Amino acid sequence: MPDPETNPVVDSVPKVNEIAVGEDLAFQRKWWRFERIIWLLFVVILVCDLLGLFGRGWFSKAKCSTPDHALTVDYQRIERASTPSTLTLHFDPSSVQDRHIVVFVSNGLIKSLGARRISPQPAISALSEGGVTYTFDVRSAPTIVEIRLQPQMPGEYAFRIQTAGNAPIRRTVLVVP
Amino acid sequence: MAIFIIARAAFGYMFLVLMVRVVGRRPGKQLTPFEFVLIFYLGGLTLTGMVGSEGSLTNAITQIITVALCHYVLSYLRFRFTTFAKILDGTPLVLMEKSTWRTETLKRVNIQDDDVMHVARQQGIKDLSGIKTAVLESFGEITIVPSRVDEEEKSDPPSSSQ
Repeated sequence: MPDPETNPVVDSVPKVNEIAVGEDLAFQRKWWRFERIIWLLFVVILVCDLLGLFGRGWFSKAKCSTPDHALTVDYQRIERASTPSTLTLHFDPSSVQDRHIVVFVSNGLIKSLGARRISPQPAISALSEGGVTYTFDVRSAPTIVEIRLQPQMPGEYAFRIQTAGNAPIRRTVLVVP
Repeated sequence: MAIFIIARAAFGYMFLVLMVRVVGRRPGKQLTPFEFVLIFYLGGLTLTGMVGSEGSLTNAITQIITVALCHYVLSYLRFRFTTFAKILDGTPLVLMEKSTWRTETLKRVNIQDDDVMHVARQQGIKDLSGIKTAVLESFGEITIVPSRVDEEEKSDPPSSSQ
């Protein structure tokens, strides 16, 4: 009676020059073709990275303004998760009212895009509906305010920035892993 | 989120498996300093992306378990399906047979005749004519079958082995 835990030896390994090698050249040629495609893909990924398609490059840099140019925002349209970046607000003299600049920043920027630090520190930070309103004391214009961002999770996030009496700036940022 | 910690670990492992497979096999039983740099550098860079700023023991344990599980699944699929084993390891490749070089294979795997002769010398073979078949194994080692085995078989009558 045959033992169920054993099997007779079958010479199943393909031979080359009478030696059991197990070569599969047809498969190997397909693999080499796949490797060439992969190497090409690696080069494409690096080129895209250098161009900024995955953030931190020429393509990802963006700038937008209100119609009257009272506020201009420099930002990255593509961010990388867990990587710091800076969003810069340029205020025109027309945005200064009574030696103050009042700007609303939505939660999309504060929470989703991970605003860590705002520089210079605002004189007043007040919670508003859907965001935070900052009030800066201004002694001379034009003025620049920098917001340090560090998004934690990949995704697409919309934000809104608005100065008092001006049209809002609405933009979307893509955060890649 | 915990799911991203696990997903990062699984992706890191799978990506490294692909990278090491695509970078290709080099002949030799031991890693050369050149390959040490590659292995440690790839490992270190992958670790940065896998761990990120979350260095808790819980994360480390879940990621180690994830990598172990991925390894087990790949090993099982490799055992179960021949095609998967070929994808993961490749197949042995004949570099030389019947005094003829397989030039296409040598070119594709970046191996020179010197590499084959280096292994042959370790077996006491003086020149390339002493090699019957040279095979690049799937784990990267070159195996030499010397032609003197044939000669010895021919010179010894069948009765002499009894």
